[in-house]
Amino acid sequence: MNQIGNPNENIDFLREVFRKYYFDNKYFPYLYSIEKREFGYRKFDSLVVRHLSFKNAGELVAELIRNVPLDVYYSNAYYGLPSNPINEKQWEGADLIFDIDIKDLNIPCFQDHSYYICNLCGFVNSDQKVCINCNKGKTLDISIPCKKCFIAIKKEAAKLLDFLCSDLGIKEAFIEIFFSGNAGFHFHVNDPNIRNLDSNSRSNVTDYIIGNGFMCESIGVRKSRNGFMIKLPKGGIMTGWRKKIASNLGINQKSELKLKHIVETSGGYEGFRNEINKITKKFGVHIDGPVTNDIHRIFRLPGSINGKSGLIKTKCDDLESFNPTNDACMLSDSEVYINLKTSLKINLKNNNFRLDNTLEKVPSYVAVYLICKGLATINKNN
Amino acid sequence: MAKYPFLQEASAYIQETKFDFEEFDRPEMIHIINRAVEKLDSELRGKIYSNLDEYEIEIMTFLVSLLLIKSIGLEEISRKCSLFEAMRVEKFLSTDLSNERSLQKKKLLVQKIFQELFKIDIDVDSTTSICKLSIADYLHRASKMNEQEWKLINRSVKDGYVYLDTDEAVRLIRNELSNLIYTRIKNMKVSEVPILIRSKADELKRKYSGRYVYRNQFKILEYPPCIKHALEIINKGENLPHSARFMLATYLLAIGKTEEDVIEIFKNSPDYNEKITRYQVEHLAGKKGSHIKYSVPSCDKLRSEDLCFAIKECENLINPIQFGRRKFK
Repeated sequence: MNQIGNPNENIDFLREVFRKYYFDNKYFPYLYSIEKREFGYRKFDSLVVRHLSFKNAGELVAELIRNVPLDVYYSNAYYGLPSNPINEKQWEGADLIFDIDIKDLNIPCFQDHSYYICNLCGFVNSDQKVCINCNKGKTLDISIPCKKCFIAIKKEAAKLLDFLCSDLGIKEAFIEIFFSGNAGFHFHVNDPNIRNLDSNSRSNVTDYIIGNGFMCESIGVRKSRNGFMIKLPKGGIMTGWRKKIASNLGINQKSELKLKHIVETSGGYEGFRNEINKITKKFGVHIDGPVTNDIHRIFRLPGSINGKSGLIKTKCDDLESFNPTNDACMLSDSEVYINLKTSLKINLKNNNFRLDNTLEKVPSYVAVYLICKGLATINKNN
Repeated sequence: MAKYPFLQEASAYIQETKFDFEEFDRPEMIHIINRAVEKLDSELRGKIYSNLDEYEIEIMTFLVSLLLIKSIGLEEISRKCSLFEAMRVEKFLSTDLSNERSLQKKKLLVQKIFQELFKIDIDVDSTTSICKLSIADYLHRASKMNEQEWKLINRSVKDGYVYLDTDEAVRLIRNELSNLIYTRIKNMKVSEVPILIRSKADELKRKYSGRYVYRNQFKILEYPPCIKHALEIINKGENLPHSARFMLATYLLAIGKTEEDVIEIFKNSPDYNEKITRYQVEHLAGKKGSHIKYSVPSCDKLRSEDLCFAIKECENLINPIQFGRRKFK
């Protein structure tokens, strides 16, 4: 909401467009066991309301049309009493959810399309410092992801999908991939066999996917008095992370001598450990661990509007062909005037917009996107 | 089955023979009672009791051991003996699974212990003896273990299954086995313990109660590096991520700082809000909301949240709270 600023005209405009969207899209086809979920939403004044529950989608939509929130969330958990306080909800299990985000990938172009908006006066700065306009506010980093960013995040998503299917053995039927509506993907896994995993078990899974904590001993390199020794594990080295590391090192179950040579040339046990860390960093997936580990978290509702962009959290059936700025852009086309805070180029609904003037006439979906990002304000005078 | 006296078959045997507790006062039972005392004595000294006798003797010894522990009535002793009984079983089971040539017998053992007792579907390869179990079954147990080797990333994993050798598969159920025995002791309803057993229990209690009474005799001499790092960031006037604030607050509360002390430290944060900080610190201290005092996150958890800055002294620690602990001289 800081990005939007506080003029009532902006909020009125956004609420009108959001309300129309929820009125026209009354169904949430990817929302299961609605009566067992906790719901919450963020209002336009940033306040978050939690511990709500609805018996069916009709009740939920009625609430959304009535209150028109900025963001809508629902729990990954299934509860006996979802509207009770957290320790009285009767937890019955939770979907396993993974979150990957462009900002975590350290893509070189990221800074090229980042804007630094003052949290007090809304001024767009060229650098990440104290605001040069009001000299008081701090700058918030706002990014408009480009094509390269989306290619990189889709590649990361494909890696995650491979981990889930090949290693963890989760059937694709239990995995739903959603574009978050801003700069990432959410993987919802609703496999009943893993629904009752506690937070520690989920943390074990996140470490597996990120590549945290791999021990040299797992691939047969052990510390010894003389530095190190090789003893390949009984269970072999041709599955899971052991296989990923072994393939990268070019070794197999019979390569004891080769492995010994690799460890020696890496500088012994410690040097080899550093090599292993580099490999795990390369092959691991940049997921947000604490998000997955949380069994009481509320997540953006699939099919709802992302208040950071005005794009919809959209189901993605095919990662390769999915086009986030087109497939998730579902708001109204009707034209409105906006005041721009900076000149920029964006692509939405497969249209390129080059916006150089302070006053521009644009479709509502462009206006919503830029207002949510804090880069424009609505102009009702034209 | 003499090695596994906690199985249903053992209870059935006692019921079938219509054994009565009063029979323990008969002179021929002294051997069994002494054997049970010998076993507990060994366990309380930290040694697994490896002697193995006939089925009937083992079942009766197990029963007397439970009665002795129940009579001693000390939580720490119940826990310790349950754990060592589990470790004893672990030793037998591991050998049986590795050495048993008959696949049928091997499968029966797996079915009796893994499937019937703990509801784990496990498959043992007939030639390699490698055990295969689902990732979910593995995680439910392994996530309670602190050693890094039990992390999923260090396991042989494929298509939703984890592959373990027999020693590892058996180790995986040690805690559950220990809990099973502990629960049996706790749920035992004994109206009157036979005199001889009671007097032996008193002897054991006199001998070991001093060793097993918990004393809070530690003091913190130095902050661990993860906490130091968080404090440095706060002192520089920078914001800490939520997970680091959680770590810092739970740690400070755990070492005895008051809520006011903790709130004072957070005052340096640029986004400090007294109302929110007070609520959250009091919540963590168990005085608001759920009224549950939150524990300090484990080193493992801090590593996965990028909050660990381990140094040499951190080796073998499982929680930052253990850092710098020295006994009072």
